[in-house]
Amino acid sequence: MGNFLSIVQLIEIMVLISYLNPFSSEGEEIVREKGSIEGIFEVNPELLQLVRDSKSQNISDDSYIPKNYADLALKRVEWYLRRKNDKKYNHNDYAFLINPKIAKFDVISIYTMAQAIGIKFNPKSREGRLLVESQGKLVEDRLEKLVPIERKEVVNNLLNQMITQDNIKWTSMSQLLGSKKINLTDMILDQGDVVLEKEDFLIRFEDKIEGRLPEKMYDLLIGEKIKEMIISRMIMQKTENYIHKVHEMAPKIEAHPTLLEIGEQISEKIKELSYFPGSGGSGGFGGDIKATQLQHEAFPPCIQKTIEGVGSGNRNDAIVLLLTSFLSYARLYPSVFRNEGTSKISDIDPDLQITINEIIPLIFEAANNCNPPLFDDDPQEKLNVIAKLGFGVNKDPELKHEGESKWYTPMSCDKIKIHLSSLCKPDATCKKIGNPLSYYNRKRWELRNSGDKTPSKSSESDSDTD
Amino acid sequence: MTHIFEPSTLEERRRYYRDEWDINDLPDFIRKDLSKREFGFDHLGRGPNDRYRVFKTPDMLKRFMRYRSPFAAYCSVAFYNKPRKRGEWLKSELVFDVDAKDVPVRSCGCDSVCEICLDEARQIVAGLIDTLKQDLGLKNIHVIYSGRGYHIRILDESAMGLDSEGRSQVLKYVAGAEPPKNKYFMEDESGQKPYELEHFSIPLGYPAVFTKRIKYAILHMNGTEKMEEVNPKLMKDVLKYREMVQKDEWGLFKNKIGPIRYRNLVEGISKLNMGLVDAKVSIDLKRILRMPTSLHSKVSMRCMEVKNIETFDPLKEAVPKFVNERKGY
Repeated sequence: MGNFLSIVQLIEIMVLISYLNPFSSEGEEIVREKGSIEGIFEVNPELLQLVRDSKSQNISDDSYIPKNYADLALKRVEWYLRRKNDKKYNHNDYAFLINPKIAKFDVISIYTMAQAIGIKFNPKSREGRLLVESQGKLVEDRLEKLVPIERKEVVNNLLNQMITQDNIKWTSMSQLLGSKKINLTDMILDQGDVVLEKEDFLIRFEDKIEGRLPEKMYDLLIGEKIKEMIISRMIMQKTENYIHKVHEMAPKIEAHPTLLEIGEQISEKIKELSYFPGSGGSGGFGGDIKATQLQHEAFPPCIQKTIEGVGSGNRNDAIVLLLTSFLSYARLYPSVFRNEGTSKISDIDPDLQITINEIIPLIFEAANNCNPPLFDDDPQEKLNVIAKLGFGVNKDPELKHEGESKWYTPMSCDKIKIHLSSLCKPDATCKKIGNPLSYYNRKRWELRNSGDKTPSKSSESDSDTD
Repeated sequence: MTHIFEPSTLEERRRYYRDEWDINDLPDFIRKDLSKREFGFDHLGRGPNDRYRVFKTPDMLKRFMRYRSPFAAYCSVAFYNKPRKRGEWLKSELVFDVDAKDVPVRSCGCDSVCEICLDEARQIVAGLIDTLKQDLGLKNIHVIYSGRGYHIRILDESAMGLDSEGRSQVLKYVAGAEPPKNKYFMEDESGQKPYELEHFSIPLGYPAVFTKRIKYAILHMNGTEKMEEVNPKLMKDVLKYREMVQKDEWGLFKNKIGPIRYRNLVEGISKLNMGLVDAKVSIDLKRILRMPTSLHSKVSMRCMEVKNIETFDPLKEAVPKFVNERKGY
């Protein structure tokens, strides 16, 4: 240790805290001082200068330089999507984002974005998710660029601010666990505490460790990386919570037109940048995915197995929960997880002809393939299938009943592993996705790009059922 | 002994609830806030279809049980402000259900439940409780013998508000259902090769939990277990060299198996471990579980709280009197 921080360095740390955690008291102070919505679209000379002065910043074109708070918000979106999807991404186009001096502008821009998204979209919308994910990634990148002593100091400061107890209990992270931002198995736990500090680690475990230096074991298992991971995930959670809070309050107050406009611009920017040819990234098969004939060869292994028939024990969940939601969304609304908006079948299939003539027969056929056939034992499960399509507990889907129940989205791969583990036989594509519907979209995109023009089996399925 | 796991008749159920059952045996954790739980009953042996019952006092529950002598009785793990409608959920016990007949690695190979697999389920439960206490620091843990296995019911306030995903993460941790990573990076050594560190070299945290679970699985396998990652040749070698695991000679064991096949084995067993506990029960916040003190009529065993899991013997402590009095016993 031996290195004490000077007053100037301490002030810099305080700046760094708001730069990394806009939801800290330092960040809130900036919003109180400078958070007027009026000047959001006004050119800000100080920001322009700061961006130009940022180390390695590309200034060959004016388009690289955000001119006001709104521009800065959109640049953050652009940075994240290009970084994720664009093979030609160049960090120097966005070097200003890694300049700590940008803190006061950055804080205003993230609050503006969070408010715009919270007002206009659902917190779980792709706009909401993008803001949360990008904030986490930005915290990681920003920490990485700090000099070690500053980095350590600021990490400890941030942790102390965010966690008030002496020992962090894993149960205090229930929100992070629930949203899967943190894995319990990634942390070292002892007596309910998350072990983070070296001294604490040595006191607890030194006697157990043999044949290896305990200090080295600490550096390998925990070190600063676990602390930094927790910090970035906590800031993501704070971002998400803030969007939620705004979203809850939104119906009670009149939205400022500026925020609505920024929300619209963010959405447009995401649509524009979701697809980069040849990127292969998770957003690389983007674009709007429309309702089309089902392409059976793009079904994931769990769905293929369900269609072939499932044994007793798993039949009900496989047909009613998994297949019903998968086939209906795959046929009618494959982009449900990307888009904010409609969640009724009749919005896409107004006279329910596709539902009645294509989707339900496939579900019932798979139910018949079960051993023993599902509806022989449990005829009431037919009603449950209709209910999971959003038409209440009724014999047939009818428009007058629509909305009596929810149109269920397909369960995630994680849930399938728990509820229907015998159906989960992952192939290579499964490793890249978290939901059977995402598999379907990705596989169709891969098949299209590989030039596979095999006609969809959906056109043959009628004869199969005859 | 053959009469032990046979179903009980209506007459036997009546005798049980009239002569043996005592409302005062109901554990305190159920009696406390009794009126905030939902109760469910199976009267005909076709599943619990008499649901949403609420009892304001133990006396009301006592009268119901005496009068109806249900085939099976259940109560919710959840507490509600309006239990009759399952409305205004407050919190739920964190629950792990280990059913002897569903344990994925059983040395007995029986097709239902026997003394051996019941005892193996007991050992598994003891291991899970150890992790729940030592690693997760949970308190107020109760073990219930369910009739064919065990329920671990945790009423630690800090964990009762967890959502399904949080519970699923706890489940994976305690069951050892995820292979721990085996590559670690040192700080300030960017660009360096990662350090390879297998779970068995790390005597703490999740890797140590995983080592215990995988050791149990390897030592109890009978060779018929199906794992996609483990072919018959690998299974044969595992059985051949498992004595090394017994002696904690993990390095030697891995050498004999080979690094790639070892990873396959670890992957395979981690998936099997997911079946140690019924995951559906753990993640369901509104589940109803067999009520302690009630009769498991399918096997004629008493569902009861276990005071000491190390010494508990269901065949001595959970067999109702009427079973001993059966003709020909």
